[in-house]
Amino acid sequence: MSYSPTIVAFLCNWCAYTGADLAGTSRLRYAPNIRIIKVMCSGRIEPTFVLKAFKEGADGVLICGCHPGDCHYHEGNYKCLRRFKLLHKFTQQMGIEKDRLQLEWISASEGKQFAELVNSMTKTLLLLGPIKLKSKLEVEHLKQ
Amino acid sequence: MEEPRIGVYICWCGTNIAKMVDVEAVAAEVSKLPHVAISKTYKYMCSDPGQELVIKDIRGHRLNRVVVAACSPRIHELTFRKACEKAGINPYLFEMANIREQDSWVHTDRTEATKKAIDLVVAAIRRVQYHEPLEKRSVNVDPSTLIIGGGISGMIAALEIANAGKKVYLIEKADRLGGQVAKFNLTFPHLSSAKQMIQPILQRVENHPEIEVFLNTEIKDVTGYIGNFKTIIQNDNEEQTELKFGNIIAAVGLKPFDPSKIEEYGYGKFPDVITSMEFEDMLGTGKILTKYGKEPRNVAIIHCVGSRNKIYHEYCSRTCCMAALKFVHQIRASLPSANIYEVYADMRAYGKGHEEFYALTTHKQIIFLMFDQQDKLPVIRQADRTDDCNMIIEMNEKLSGESIEVPVDMVILMVNMEAQDNVKEVVRAIGVSLCGNQFFIEKHPKLDPVATTTGGVYIVGTCQGPKDIPDSVCQARAAAARILATIAYGSVQVEVTTANVNEKLCCGCQTCVKVCPYSAISYNEIKKSSEVNEVLCKGCGTCGSACPAGAINSKHFTDRQIMSEIEGIMSMSLKGV
Repeated sequence: MSYSPTIVAFLCNWCAYTGADLAGTSRLRYAPNIRIIKVMCSGRIEPTFVLKAFKEGADGVLICGCHPGDCHYHEGNYKCLRRFKLLHKFTQQMGIEKDRLQLEWISASEGKQFAELVNSMTKTLLLLGPIKLKSKLEVEHLKQ
Repeated sequence: MEEPRIGVYICWCGTNIAKMVDVEAVAAEVSKLPHVAISKTYKYMCSDPGQELVIKDIRGHRLNRVVVAACSPRIHELTFRKACEKAGINPYLFEMANIREQDSWVHTDRTEATKKAIDLVVAAIRRVQYHEPLEKRSVNVDPSTLIIGGGISGMIAALEIANAGKKVYLIEKADRLGGQVAKFNLTFPHLSSAKQMIQPILQRVENHPEIEVFLNTEIKDVTGYIGNFKTIIQNDNEEQTELKFGNIIAAVGLKPFDPSKIEEYGYGKFPDVITSMEFEDMLGTGKILTKYGKEPRNVAIIHCVGSRNKIYHEYCSRTCCMAALKFVHQIRASLPSANIYEVYADMRAYGKGHEEFYALTTHKQIIFLMFDQQDKLPVIRQADRTDDCNMIIEMNEKLSGESIEVPVDMVILMVNMEAQDNVKEVVRAIGVSLCGNQFFIEKHPKLDPVATTTGGVYIVGTCQGPKDIPDSVCQARAAAARILATIAYGSVQVEVTTANVNEKLCCGCQTCVKVCPYSAISYNEIKKSSEVNEVLCKGCGTCGSACPAGAINSKHFTDRQIMSEIEGIMSMSLKGV
């Protein structure tokens, strides 16, 4: 079976999720590889959610929140950004390539930008190939 | 916990979903999952029979969890929660999978779209098992209202509420009330006087015992929640006043488009190229004169200036066509022998009495010339000395297919309505979102056009999108009615998806206290544990993800629920289905 990457995306309710809905109402087309999980604020996204997605076999994880200054809860996106920077270092040390984890700001009006983002991330993941973590974890599991 | 018995419903949405997603295959696939009691498809789940189907099954099959895969939860989550409630189960024991906006409408491969729908439905099924019943909470409503913007919409809403005996704070950043309408001379399609219409409204607002008007004033930050908001307003002298109110109406209006961006029209270069608003000012003086003090013999009115054009604004401003026809009557009355040209792109006469007004205006000896917005805009140039006019419009006349030159002495540009500049500050203060054109986004485009996703915050008039006076007034009265209903009821339901702290797990580090943007969390020294004030909490969940002890539970977005959703999303992909 040819490789088709899976992206697990965490989107905040107010900006990014609404932006993704707008891509739909505008009938834009993008790659079907993304699976979206809604949270109220990007500040809710725990590092463990991202790690869990990779553990379950996601080839990429995308986090989207409101643009800086536009957060519905004032500053949740800044908290998300701080955690992301730390987590991003950690995932790279784990051997997960940098581009497999991305954080982007998408406003409620940026349906087009969202569609482009999904396409570009899908393309990047196609070039990177399947995530290796999955097979590593399976080996670890067998050893036990 | 009782054994979950889940009912799963896949919506066709007519052909919207069913065309791109094999709904029967989705229903069949997920029916195999544990705890799924029934799995069905239906043409329109949101319709009355669709909801009845859910209600009947909850009762008949003793369902205690429901999943509907349909449009975005932003559209119909509430509809189905209500159906669950009607059938006797807690409305939060429901989950929605978005297989329309985020699946069938954006993908072109039916197999892939169906696969994705299965993943999303499986995720919803896995998640809903861990949903907990949440109890509704209500708070008292402060009977006063804050209205931002003193144009026609803001004033009408203020009067509607104040006439019911409820206090209104009306904030206007300019030094006078009336907004754009106060600048008009006549209104279309009846050619009645705008001044005569607005003057009594102004007087009633200014003298009403229940309306407090603040001119030259802007709002600072708004805090609180539906029923109990607070703000500080500041006037030009930097005097600050604190106000408390239960509801907010944003009626911040619009601003006219600046046509100097359109080089073709030479606005700013030719003194006799003026905007529709400047022409209103001129009409107010009682005389139509060029900058040289002469009566123009040729007047052209150019439509769609900044509207319906990809470079400037793609949307239609909705009022300019009729306003342009209104000007014809005023020009003809004042200049009986002038040549009048309507240079238009399309004539939009959709409103009550508009088409009739269009027909009536065509009898005023005017010439209609059509141009193509997508092709080439008309170009205005200075006339030569030998020409018997001031300027010349060069254009491709669409109906005749000919390139023509139109002699003119005055050009009126029907400028687009665009969003206010300072709109972002208001948006941030009251917690609403903006669309791509910088207009405020309503809660539901069809069914809830004056409410917003923030409880207690309403939007009326042209800040929501271009509209004429009757539409603005309709919205103003609608928002006022909504607010009066909550005031009459006395209390309102508030956010239940708040956070709470498990005292046994809390280690007392107080990280949550620091990250909460609403100061809703405090540390209880006696219990040695953090506590959430659930009235102040807005449920963002930031504390939940910051807590190192895992002691904070973000209701309806718990770790367990999200982790299960992730497992569900990935479960099929791993199996290679």
